[in-house]
Amino acid sequence: MYNDYRMNDQNVKDYQKYERTIKTINKRFKTYGYERIKTPMFEQYDLYSQVKSSINKREMIKIIDRTGDVSVLRPDITVPITKQLADNYPELPNDLRYYYVQDVFRQSLLEEGSIEGTQAGVEYFCETSAEADAEVIALACHTLKDLGFSDIKLEIGHASFFHEFIRMIDLDAADVEQLKGLIQAKNIVELGPFLRQFNITEDIIEAIVTIPMLYGNPVEVSERARKIVQTEKMDETLDYLLEVYEILKLYGLENNIVLDLGLINHMGYYSDVIFQGFVEKFGKPVLMGGRYNHLGNEFGADLPAIGFACEVESLLNALTTDTVSPRTPIDIKLLYDEENLKESILIANELRERNYTVLSYPVEKASSNVQNSIYQLLITSKENIFKYRDEQTSFQSLNELLKLLNGAKGAM
Amino acid sequence: MDYLTLAIATGRTSKQAMKLLEQAGLNFPDYNNKSRKLVIYDETKTVKLIFVKTADLTTYVEKGAADVGIIGKDTIMEEQPDVYELVDLNFGKCQVVVAGFPTRKIRNGAPITVATKYPLITKAFFDRKGIRVETIKLNGSIELAPLIGLSEVIVDIVETGTTLKENGLVVLDKIVDISARLIVNKASFATKTYQIEQFISKLKAVLE
Repeated sequence: MYNDYRMNDQNVKDYQKYERTIKTINKRFKTYGYERIKTPMFEQYDLYSQVKSSINKREMIKIIDRTGDVSVLRPDITVPITKQLADNYPELPNDLRYYYVQDVFRQSLLEEGSIEGTQAGVEYFCETSAEADAEVIALACHTLKDLGFSDIKLEIGHASFFHEFIRMIDLDAADVEQLKGLIQAKNIVELGPFLRQFNITEDIIEAIVTIPMLYGNPVEVSERARKIVQTEKMDETLDYLLEVYEILKLYGLENNIVLDLGLINHMGYYSDVIFQGFVEKFGKPVLMGGRYNHLGNEFGADLPAIGFACEVESLLNALTTDTVSPRTPIDIKLLYDEENLKESILIANELRERNYTVLSYPVEKASSNVQNSIYQLLITSKENIFKYRDEQTSFQSLNELLKLLNGAKGAM
Repeated sequence: MDYLTLAIATGRTSKQAMKLLEQAGLNFPDYNNKSRKLVIYDETKTVKLIFVKTADLTTYVEKGAADVGIIGKDTIMEEQPDVYELVDLNFGKCQVVVAGFPTRKIRNGAPITVATKYPLITKAFFDRKGIRVETIKLNGSIELAPLIGLSEVIVDIVETGTTLKENGLVVLDKIVDISARLIVNKASFATKTYQIEQFISKLKAVLE
């Protein structure tokens, strides 16, 4: 059986799904007042060696130009946007809302995988406020809903909660990393014995061991967290998170939000609220974000901001339901005999000017394309025929053809 | 409601894992040691059990193909999956050790050749000690390597030490104690929180 290759063309299908996803995301970002920007593909390597971020320098794709300077293929977007702003403003002139859809390039050290991935995200430069933070988290959730996910969970944490504990205990950098690893893995089994190697008081150890399981309904979790609070700042953090949660409830997101105080700074530059989003049947977070009030300081400017980014490829993989409609047929297929090439080109151009999709072929090559078309035209020296469904009508001029097209449309 | 997908490694720990599940009130009628079924369900149709190779288990859980998995700490240390490691199941207890001939001294100098199933654990351990090593990755019968001169020492798991003793080898250094752990996919923990909590509390009831 002969298969219509074009109708099943996976490249086209994949791109349609990609394009539709991006379009949905763009539309949602715009409704919250974000404006699209782009950043250069090539960035200075030094830009990234200067900033504390989670991007492993060994994962970046480096390029050495003629002068011997090292550039990298854009490994991230938040850092260059902040740098660009910092070059122009020593402090935030007014609230700024940007969004981007761009490719980033990283070569994972452990996994074989694609170097290139599309990120869609927003950066909202503004002072910290529960309203602003909640709005950004709501936007993240809203975007996932638009894409058709039904089971959406956003885990919210706070960079300073864990940081406060770190300040109270004396550990070197390698030990802090190990501690972070244990908390991120919610590995309570080994957390206690690990901390007991050091000179840390038992009540602090008990408190830290509690952190990983401070997970779930925000009100209930914060009540449990109050019991291990050590500093005023921790109390304030909990108050703040509850305030954000109360606003998220007003957005109708009560069932999508969980508090996870074991969620700690996965990007070096996050300073306050951090969050990540999960959807049904997909094993990795599909979006990550947080507030980074001090990234601007690295470039000598005061630019508080909050943002998040989605990995578009992850979203596509997570969208298991094939929501892509079957390929739409093209509008018009135009067949002509060799002598009428000139006339057929004229007609095809006039129709394309009017936004019809037209494919034209000499009669004898008609079989090289197997796509369905709504209308068919046959241009020969004898006559010109317009075919729609089972009806054939001959026509003399372009005007007559356009009338026929309009008539057929009316009948549809 | 969706099944909770549990992955169990075929091999060393699978019998003990099944025993634990049974004690926790999860019965799998299709389970018997001779069955070759790779996917089975419990009586209440809440848990779907899959059997996978030990080395692949962390991948299944990390990618979300399984929500939870039971696996030895040795494999977790070697594969370093990005998952939650929630419960120590207290079985499959053994040690990862450096073993070799009793005369062999481990000290710095020329690189020591080490045969092992665990190159990552090996490297991390010797790096910490500041000893240079060359690792040779083997997949089984690690004890054979020093006997025929393939390596000077080995890094392997030891339960009773019988195999070592019969081959004239001794434990030179202990790296870490291990046991079976319950690992959980991070996304599943977010989207199936209630199911996973129920499952864990059933297991914990048996362990206590």
